[in-house]
Amino acid sequence: MAENSILSARQVSKRFGGLQAVDRVSFEVEPKGVTSIIGPNGAGKSTVFNLISGTFLPDSGEVVFDGKDVTHQAPEQKLASGMARSFQITNLFFDLTVMDNLRIASQRLESTQQLLKPFSKSRLALQRTDELISEFELERAADQLAGALSHGDQRRLEIAVTLATRPRLLMLDEPSQGMSQADTQETAELIRRLSQNMAILLIEHDVDLVMDLSQHVVVMAQGQKLAEGTPQAVRANPEVQTAYFGEATA
Amino acid sequence: MIEYLQFILAPQVVNGLSLGMAVVLMALGLTIIFGLLDVINMSHGEFYAAGAFASVSLLAIGVPFWLMLLLVPLILLPIGFLMEVALIQRVYHHKDRHILTLLLTFGVATVLEDVYKLIWGPNPIRPEAPIGGAIEFLGLILPNYRLFLMAFGGLLIVGVMWLIYKTSFGAIVRAAAFDRDMSASLGISVKRVYALTFSFGVAIAGLSGALLAPIYSAFPTMGKDFILLAFTVVIVGGLGSIKGAVIAGLLLTQVQAISSLYIPPVWTEPLVFTVMVLVLMFKPAGLFGGLKNG
Amino acid sequence: MVSAEKRAIRIVEISLLVASILLFIFAEITGDTFYSRLATEALIFGGLALSVDLLLGLVGLLSLGQAFYFGFGAYLSAVMLKQVAPSFWLTMLVVLVTSALLGWVTSYIALRSRGVYFALITFGLAQVAAKVVYNTRALGASDGMIGVPILQIDFLFFRLDSSDPGQFFLLVFAVIALMYGVLRYITHTPMGAIWHGIRSNENRLAYVGFKSKGPKQVAFVIAAVIAAVSGALYPMLRGFVSPELLFFSVSGNAVVTAVLGGVGSLVGPLLGSVLLTFFKSVIGTWTVHHHIIIGTAFVIVVIFAPRGILGALSKRLASGSDRKGE
Repeated sequence: MAENSILSARQVSKRFGGLQAVDRVSFEVEPKGVTSIIGPNGAGKSTVFNLISGTFLPDSGEVVFDGKDVTHQAPEQKLASGMARSFQITNLFFDLTVMDNLRIASQRLESTQQLLKPFSKSRLALQRTDELISEFELERAADQLAGALSHGDQRRLEIAVTLATRPRLLMLDEPSQGMSQADTQETAELIRRLSQNMAILLIEHDVDLVMDLSQHVVVMAQGQKLAEGTPQAVRANPEVQTAYFGEATA
Repeated sequence: MIEYLQFILAPQVVNGLSLGMAVVLMALGLTIIFGLLDVINMSHGEFYAAGAFASVSLLAIGVPFWLMLLLVPLILLPIGFLMEVALIQRVYHHKDRHILTLLLTFGVATVLEDVYKLIWGPNPIRPEAPIGGAIEFLGLILPNYRLFLMAFGGLLIVGVMWLIYKTSFGAIVRAAAFDRDMSASLGISVKRVYALTFSFGVAIAGLSGALLAPIYSAFPTMGKDFILLAFTVVIVGGLGSIKGAVIAGLLLTQVQAISSLYIPPVWTEPLVFTVMVLVLMFKPAGLFGGLKNG
Repeated sequence: MVSAEKRAIRIVEISLLVASILLFIFAEITGDTFYSRLATEALIFGGLALSVDLLLGLVGLLSLGQAFYFGFGAYLSAVMLKQVAPSFWLTMLVVLVTSALLGWVTSYIALRSRGVYFALITFGLAQVAAKVVYNTRALGASDGMIGVPILQIDFLFFRLDSSDPGQFFLLVFAVIALMYGVLRYITHTPMGAIWHGIRSNENRLAYVGFKSKGPKQVAFVIAAVIAAVSGALYPMLRGFVSPELLFFSVSGNAVVTAVLGGVGSLVGPLLGSVLLTFFKSVIGTWTVHHHIIIGTAFVIVVIFAPRGILGALSKRLASGSDRKGE
């Protein structure tokens, strides 16, 4: 157990009706670098994600972020604490422009008093929006409706929106979902760059991508944690190899 | 005490039950449309009214009561079908589908109400009950027509439940409601199923109107008056839950009937509304959740 | 496309402004009462439609019971003017404060739900309120209250007479324009963007840090105030109030007006109200069944032109500028 982990999940469990979706899962996320959760379909990865981000409340167990118990916090509280998540199925404000999407996402950088003052007064948010637009190369698309973007651009915007408040823990749910090979590479580079300064918790299906990017890997299967450790250690773990038969592990 | 039960409470219970059957029928149509098709039919009350007015006119030209009960839903089926196909399906694929169908059906309701005023005038018309008189049972005076309503209504409700749960048509409807794309890929014409279900729903509402007309009369604003009660039943019972509509319908009409003994009748509607609000606030899924959650 | 919408809105704003000024001049010159009073009524109900559009067009909440607040404002205004003091400013102040309170309290009931549930709760609230007022003798029961006095409204340098149709029209125009201005301003603030976010994707909002409940409540209260303030002007115009002001037809009409004019444009409902009021007055001379016509037009608009007149106008402007090769 790393004492300097930024996020600890401790014995987190969730049941849906007759299905124990997550069964006493514990793991740590380091303050810098990429921690990935992998596992076959139905392993419970998304549920764990949802439990940590506040979409569902766990039946039991704890989630500790930066020393604080955030187990029962609602999503907006978690954001205020420094945790932000993206969505596997793109969840943007589709009938707002790219710029408006980023502006809303950045608004939390300002105090509540700014809400009823003209946009121009929300300087921090505007600056952040400009930053994100240039960082993600969305200049040309800035005035387009988010719903009109290409899938790849939408996925990148999804990540940009999640980054807007400069969270200390960035949670990405299958960010490369549906992306082309080139886009996926770019996204991987982006994640690598970001991970130098923040903690990233990643769910990904692309195992090679995960092994390449991550410092720390958590393997889940059937709601339980199967293994946790460096990519090499996890890859060599016989149980992991069994759980993944048919998947390339060598 | 016995006198109280006999002369005051019991008649109210009977009133409540007979009203309850008709309310349940109307709510059934609404919950089926709402719960299965995910369509918000603000014009449902107007189909209830249509049934009442149709019954008035059919009876006026000499059609026997029993034949009229058969004809009214038959007349309303194609109208409902047409409305679903020509109007509702046009907005079905829109992103703002829920609001658009609400607005659309609301518009239709506005038109229909005025049409009724145009054709039948603004004043209530009460057709004669086909079965007059009353019987005496355990010292209670029970109007025959109300008894008939309870029996016939009960039969109809059982019939609808049988149709939805025990026939292949019902299975198709439930499947299509649950997963539209899957059903379509199985070769079921989802459009046709939806249209049929909609027309079925409004037809039983119309039948309910025809059944209640001899008691409550037919007047142009009757649809609007009734729709809050109908939606309350649907919500309290749980969206899409047939069982819920039946139980909530009977329960709420009893509440309304019995409470009118203790509070001035004008306050029974606020009471019902309060029940709806409380349910929405504390148990939004209603008593029995429903086929589609959320 | 976005700038075409802005241009369309600007065009309609200016048109309404110019038309109003012309009407005022016309009224003062000819001493007309009919058209000024009709236009005043159009603006009063336009204010109600504005409150509907705030909720529906900006936040995405369909309220089928704004007549509740409208009628509340009307009755409160009548009571104030008749029984407390014939003071415009005092009445408006009282209406403003109490309607905000009323809106805040009822928001706890209404905002528990979304979508059709919200529509039903607002519908039910208005129905119940209408029933209560209809049966309350102190408020005149089914007859309502008559005999609202004429007002002398003092401004710093001049005085307006509420019985002068032209002057009162201008006053109402100013009040409605002020409320419109406030809403327009908010759309250029982050609060307005959040409202749009709620309409667009309420679920995501929490994940960018905002609980939707607070902003929704703000919108709900503002909508209640706008409806009530508009309602408060009604007895000043007509001299009476009646329970009909709380009936569903009033709420429903406001929704129809907003949709026909252009949901979300804010100025569309005002335009819609003007057009509909004059249309009803004209058709009303032939037949009392104008609902059939209006209802049918409404259905057609919902299916074929869901963004109403403003939507059609901005589409025309957009394609016009495309052809110019912008």
